[in-house]
Amino acid sequence: MNTDALHIMSSRKSTYPRSYVDAMHTILTKAGWMDCTRPMLSGMTVNGFRFSVNRRLSEESPTAYNWHAEHFLAADFIGVTCSSSMGFNFVPTFPLYRKQAILDIKASIDRGIGAIIWHEGFVVAETYDDQDGEGALLYSDGFSEQLQRLSYAAFGGGPSPYWYYQVMESRISMDDAAVIKESFLQAIFKWETHDLTLPEQDYACGRAAYEAIINALESGDYDREGAKVTFDYYEEAKRDISVYMREAELPHLATGAAAACYEQVAELFSHIIGTDIEDSERLCQLFREALQAEEQAIKQLRLLVREEADNRFHDIGLR
Amino acid sequence: MSGIYLHEINMKRESKSFTDALYAVLTAAGLFEGPKYMLSGLSGMAFKFTVHEQLLPFSVTAYGQWGLEHGPAIDNLGLWTAFDAGRTRHPTFRFYQQDALRWIRESLDRGVGVIYWIPEFGVIRGYDDDDGVFYVQNGWSEDDEIVLYDNMGINFTPFWYVRVFAERVEVPLDQQVLESVRLAIHDWDTPFKTLPDKAIASGKLAYMFLAQGLESGQFDEGGAKYIIDSYKYSRLEIKQYLADVRTLWPELDQAYSFYAELAEAVSDIGLGQDGGISRAIERLRLAEKLEDLAVDQFRLLSAQYPDLKRSIVTRWSAHTAR
Repeated sequence: MNTDALHIMSSRKSTYPRSYVDAMHTILTKAGWMDCTRPMLSGMTVNGFRFSVNRRLSEESPTAYNWHAEHFLAADFIGVTCSSSMGFNFVPTFPLYRKQAILDIKASIDRGIGAIIWHEGFVVAETYDDQDGEGALLYSDGFSEQLQRLSYAAFGGGPSPYWYYQVMESRISMDDAAVIKESFLQAIFKWETHDLTLPEQDYACGRAAYEAIINALESGDYDREGAKVTFDYYEEAKRDISVYMREAELPHLATGAAAACYEQVAELFSHIIGTDIEDSERLCQLFREALQAEEQAIKQLRLLVREEADNRFHDIGLR
Repeated sequence: MSGIYLHEINMKRESKSFTDALYAVLTAAGLFEGPKYMLSGLSGMAFKFTVHEQLLPFSVTAYGQWGLEHGPAIDNLGLWTAFDAGRTRHPTFRFYQQDALRWIRESLDRGVGVIYWIPEFGVIRGYDDDDGVFYVQNGWSEDDEIVLYDNMGINFTPFWYVRVFAERVEVPLDQQVLESVRLAIHDWDTPFKTLPDKAIASGKLAYMFLAQGLESGQFDEGGAKYIIDSYKYSRLEIKQYLADVRTLWPELDQAYSFYAELAEAVSDIGLGQDGGISRAIERLRLAEKLEDLAVDQFRLLSAQYPDLKRSIVTRWSAHTAR
């Protein structure tokens, strides 16, 4: 376990939803597939660049995005192949999918690699127990040392309406420079593009998420507890990205200027989470500054990938 | 076993290629009973209607991200399904391709055919490990196409697509029908299904693209013919489907009347005859109005029952291709 993870475990409330990247990092390092830090993984998978909020800043904000697309891509960007499935748990076909989910998750554990499942956050099914009556998955939630039990019958059962799992299958070798460059292109895409899964009247993404947060804070009509969780979550993401930009320095690719901007963003977010949630004036000021800094960061990224970005014409996300 | 061949699969091109392939696979496996128009209606596939601004032939299959379009369609039939697809140029394609060789054969071993993008959609009905080939039916020819394992998924389009099926749960017919009209409403109301591309319109806007394309005179002739033929066939399917389920709710009976009138109005449009184009445009304008009225009936019906699926934001629906 690296010190970064220790810091997170000690500083977080237990209600904080565990991020996908955190779960993925646990899985890939435990399996010996990767030895990079979580910030590197956060950047290369593009997940750390995602910034989307519910306009009321409700608690779901950090995990309200297209898991299907984003998590497949997270793996694909780094050359990991995967299989995933998801849906609502109140539909008639759910029992068929739950049965298959348990089979796939157990098969993955048998291959020596945990599975990512949604259980009020992204947790890692590390082992299973068929001896105990109906059978159970044992998962780590990233907070407590002990594995928790989730019976097969309870998989995907709520209170959340969603069930989700992803198993990693194999990996191919990738060119680091290409992975990093792709992450910059995708970062620009995330900054400029609304996640089509989310109704725009209720959610905002990328640059627009800053405006949504400032609007919510100014109007006072937002979820206080949800806002704290959301700001904490993104503070971690921005910090990860600032570290990533430093570590991702490649020959012939001067990432220094972009890194400096992201460090400024991370710094501002550390002030944000240290500010009283009722002090909306100061929070708005900090978010405005962070918006400026991140806008500059994206400009710097554009300079780094100008040729590739131009070759993609009007669809920078399409590889 | 080094091979299998499912003789009972018999795909015939009549409807959209995906519907034809689905019907062939499911009826052969005992996973669907009834006529093709019922499958087309219950799955919502009949309602899908997309038109490229130049009336290119791929309009007919460009009704969205296939995973997202076909998933809810099949779910409404109570079936377990899984698919894989993507861009063959992506570096991970080779792995996914090799992995698919395994699960395609597993499905065939269970006696269930597999839907495959040839293009268009066809059915993998068998394999032979000694020769390393799949047998693929395209719905037009009596003879199978042969696809080498290592070429699986590779075609002249940039993407590949394979879908398998397994068990079924019983879903009451009225529930299926209610969901099918909701799928129809969604298709009618969504102007663009393949964003950020706005050259292909869906639903109501597709009518406008078709009329404008025909009016401009600058369109792909083969494409226009294919779009119109497919459109006419699917409206006939909708009419037949509603005829069978119209007794469930009075709104469906109303909708049936509109679709019956619509199907009649467009039954003889074509580009061949003298003045064919201007007549087609005129009839399509009428058809659009009738379909609007029919969808309004669907809305009235839908509003009478809670719709949990569409009142909770998903974590998996629309996305752009990346």
